[in-house]
Amino acid sequence: MAEIVSVHATSHTPVMINFPGAIPDEDRERIFAGFRQVGEEIRQARPDAVVVVSDDHVHNFFLDNLPAVCIGAAASWKSPVEHWLKIDQHELRGDVQLGGHLITSALDSGFDPAFSMALTLDHGTLAPLHLAGIAREVVVVPVLINCVQPPLPPMKRALQWGRLLGQALRSYGGCERVSVLATGGLSHDIATPRMGLVNEAFDREFLRLLAANDDARLLEHATHRVHEAGNGAEEVRTWLVAHGVADGAAFDTLYYKAVPAWYTGIGLGRWRTGSM
Amino acid sequence: MTQSNWRQIMPTAEAYWMNRVLYDIHHVDSHLQRYKADPDAYMAEVPLAAAMKAAIRDNDIGAMYLAGVNPLLLRAHCLGLRISEATFVASLRAVVHDSTGEASHG
Repeated sequence: MAEIVSVHATSHTPVMINFPGAIPDEDRERIFAGFRQVGEEIRQARPDAVVVVSDDHVHNFFLDNLPAVCIGAAASWKSPVEHWLKIDQHELRGDVQLGGHLITSALDSGFDPAFSMALTLDHGTLAPLHLAGIAREVVVVPVLINCVQPPLPPMKRALQWGRLLGQALRSYGGCERVSVLATGGLSHDIATPRMGLVNEAFDREFLRLLAANDDARLLEHATHRVHEAGNGAEEVRTWLVAHGVADGAAFDTLYYKAVPAWYTGIGLGRWRTGSM
Repeated sequence: MTQSNWRQIMPTAEAYWMNRVLYDIHHVDSHLQRYKADPDAYMAEVPLAAAMKAAIRDNDIGAMYLAGVNPLLLRAHCLGLRISEATFVASLRAVVHDSTGEASHG
């Protein structure tokens, strides 16, 4: 059966890629060093595949057909879908069998994912892998949870999804080592009058509750305070998925800083799974 | 109105069609070319009120926000049409909240 050898979560704002010079050099260097650390930890964990939990930013899905959760199963993935993202287009490697296992395991357990065999992945998946330096190395199984267009799946459902995915991964006999990387958040607002405002208090409390392993208060905070942290903060669902996968493992904040010039509270974290 | 990240919890039909226009012109290159050549002609058959079509055509970001256009599509519209960041943010911040908490175009 597969071992979950690492679980991480990071912000994924494309502003980091497109406008790196918008913030002081010292901040940017520390943030990019944090991503490289995440990449090195994943590399050291030697995963056969990385399950990347992110969201589709209204590229693959539109209001005519918008799944709450979509799991990808394909041998390769085109990326990025955004012509404006300053990363060269290239293909990421995929894993049909592991994606299929997650889909069937979810259905057998009372969850109802959509699935896709032809996604063109956006910055949510690609930007963190690129900054971590592992985009061209790892095999990617995408799990996309709707964080961008209401009606949205509840925060508690994200945590349930994480627990389910953790069980499914640990029951998988097709490989030995799997990593999980969740991406998104923390507080930020896209295309609203609050754009540029970052809610550091929300972010720090969210990170504190992850470390405290207090799931009830974590869900209460995410559910009831997210509207004070911006529409981009809805992406903390991906962190809740990772938290569920980690199944009680201790959480460490690797980096946090409110970065208004990048419109975002930039966070990076790790759950102590595997040999971490 | 309680503070919310979203204008609408379920999109209206009007928001659907505004989103449809933005999604299509920023995901299908031929649509973008047709739109840029003649936005009124491009939207002629779209079932939207004239004011909403005008909001799209005139890049009235605040009006589109108020009508419930998805923020990611609004952002893509800014990037795709090369609307300056300052103009984009200023139009959003011109949306003010009246004493009832409802947002309106200031």
